[in-house]
Amino acid sequence: MVVGTKAVDKVVDADVLVVGGGGAGLRAAIEASERGVRALLISKGSVARSGASLLAGADLTLDGESLHNLGFPGEPIDTKQKFFSDIVTQGFYLNNQRIVEIYVEDAPKRVKELLDWGIKVGFAEERAIFTSGSSILSALLKRAKEMDVDIMNDIMVIDLLIKDGRVSGALGLDIKTGDLITFRSKAVVLATGGWHKAYSPNAGSRELSGDGVAAAYRAGADLANMEFVTFCCNVLLWPPNWRGIIFPYLLHLLVGGKLVNSKGEDFLSKYDPTIVKIGTSMEWNKSFVSIATALEVLEGRGSPHGGVYYEVGDMAWKEFESRVTKYYPNWKYKGIDFSELGKMLKDGRPVEVGPAAEYFEGGIVVNEKFETNISGLYAAGECTASLFGANRVAAATTEMLVEGTIAGRFAADYAKKSEMPDIDKKQVDKLQEKAILPLKLKEGIKPAELLRNVQQMAYEQLGPIRDNNGLSEFVKYIEMVKKDQLPKLCTVSKSMNYNKEWIEALELENIVQLLELSAKSALMRTESRGVHYRSDYAWTDNDNWLKEIVLREDAGDLHVTKRPVIITILMPPSGVTPYMEMVKKLMEAHSEIGGHH
Amino acid sequence: MKYMAEKLIKVKILRFNPSTNGKAYFQSYDVPVTEGVSVLDILDFIYENLDSGLAYYDHAACRHGICGGCSLVVNGKPSLACQTLILGDISVEPPKNFKVIRDLVYKRGELK
Repeated sequence: MVVGTKAVDKVVDADVLVVGGGGAGLRAAIEASERGVRALLISKGSVARSGASLLAGADLTLDGESLHNLGFPGEPIDTKQKFFSDIVTQGFYLNNQRIVEIYVEDAPKRVKELLDWGIKVGFAEERAIFTSGSSILSALLKRAKEMDVDIMNDIMVIDLLIKDGRVSGALGLDIKTGDLITFRSKAVVLATGGWHKAYSPNAGSRELSGDGVAAAYRAGADLANMEFVTFCCNVLLWPPNWRGIIFPYLLHLLVGGKLVNSKGEDFLSKYDPTIVKIGTSMEWNKSFVSIATALEVLEGRGSPHGGVYYEVGDMAWKEFESRVTKYYPNWKYKGIDFSELGKMLKDGRPVEVGPAAEYFEGGIVVNEKFETNISGLYAAGECTASLFGANRVAAATTEMLVEGTIAGRFAADYAKKSEMPDIDKKQVDKLQEKAILPLKLKEGIKPAELLRNVQQMAYEQLGPIRDNNGLSEFVKYIEMVKKDQLPKLCTVSKSMNYNKEWIEALELENIVQLLELSAKSALMRTESRGVHYRSDYAWTDNDNWLKEIVLREDAGDLHVTKRPVIITILMPPSGVTPYMEMVKKLMEAHSEIGGHH
Repeated sequence: MKYMAEKLIKVKILRFNPSTNGKAYFQSYDVPVTEGVSVLDILDFIYENLDSGLAYYDHAACRHGICGGCSLVVNGKPSLACQTLILGDISVEPPKNFKVIRDLVYKRGELK
């Protein structure tokens, strides 16, 4: 259909509308259905075959004792308390401890259930079982179908609908047909994951543009911890079709290898040996190695595409390859044949790796029911804030299952005691009008061009290393984009059916909004904590910054507050500590439990 | 993304927009390529630099060869665009027998 020929006024009803076709969304929809309400799940890509869950490594984490009790070796001397402490200390004490308690408590139940639903387990260690994102999602999808969850694919959420202070549904775009669909529901669960697309390189699939988080913010929901972005280290930067793939990260973690700069120096040897040892053998290495890599690049010792080089190191090739193929037979990782990478490593040809945006610790503020400050609105999974504090060291796959279940349960209870809300027709008209603007403009700015600039600026100035100058410049840039460029985004084709430029224009609205909030929070947080590293404030300040930065939009203006971190069990130490010293302290505080978590 | 070109290739793409009642036709583009460029990278290059009106499955592409969203016919053979490396001339079409939404985007699981 071409703009202006016919307005589509489709309305679809559900008791609980779930936004997101990954693990958190599926688990929420299953739970809501099990509680006897009609759940409709809308997915931006194909359900269970899109989203960050699909690309997950994927390990499921839980305490070693519970894993032992599930019939795996696990680690009998581990306890839930130890797992809790490790998540909070490695999260730099910024975690909402109430939510960490829930994670640790519910993880074994969720993992057991998935085993019952038929996931395939590859191997297991002290605190984790390794499976695949697609295996988890297939098991969840099968269960969702048994529970009669309604599913619609290729629907992008544009905005939430609000009537009389409560959520009444959402406006969605059917990407393939171009129809703007009004979804009316008693409750909504957002499970839209991170906003990887704000960065290049990123390790996500292409749809992750933070649509749910940005929509929640525009609807008046609180967001927090937006300055915390995990950059996975050792991600492939070259050639183009490998860019953003984390395979060398996994090889370095599971098998070994060496990182060198453009001078051939083993640059990690400059750092404290304890930090290097723990920082390259546990999930920790994401932030530590990302910062170390970014520093080499900043100081002129980087590779042509802005990273460093990954090599086999001292291990004999035969040994190296046999270890790799134990985990990844025939060098196959997911659907990718990496035998060429194997040859490159064997021949000593350069393999360029570096940091890529991978996980977003911040997002929508929720309470223990995974309820937001908007009546009827719930959120689960990566799009929420606070579970992992300033640094995620346990699995986000377990997060999506635990949080999805609870959000689905309370959304269903809310729906059961509520009437079907009315739709504010005026709001829908206004939103539709705004959404089709890029199709109506005759000339303007190309979405692809703006996206490329924004991604590059974000990576440079809101990346693994931040400082006042870069952040201030970035805030100015992003405010200019918001004011002068977003309203001018314009598509060449005016067709509504699968118009990539139109989708990107809508995504840019969200990306720019979230980057603005992230950069302003990063500028405000004058310390370094977890994955937020400021070269001009290179210390962790527990006297002033055991606080979350909370953001809310009210009548078009940004309101910022600071919320003291929620503590239930583990009292954080006071004092100001140089960042690397803090890193070492926290690493040493980790319990004696082995494995990668 | 931008990359150093090793050579120029001809890329022939089957275009079709059912909403304008037009007919399907092949359009040809000259695209610079380097080693390690996939069909999906080439489509990205065309979209970003030559013709932003081109439609291909991108909005939820996983790039890891698992989602199946980028299944196309390349040089007459069914292929995953993200896992098919290219150095010479190519033709790209949607699979036959599926209902085309626009250009290279078609309704998965729904036959004509």
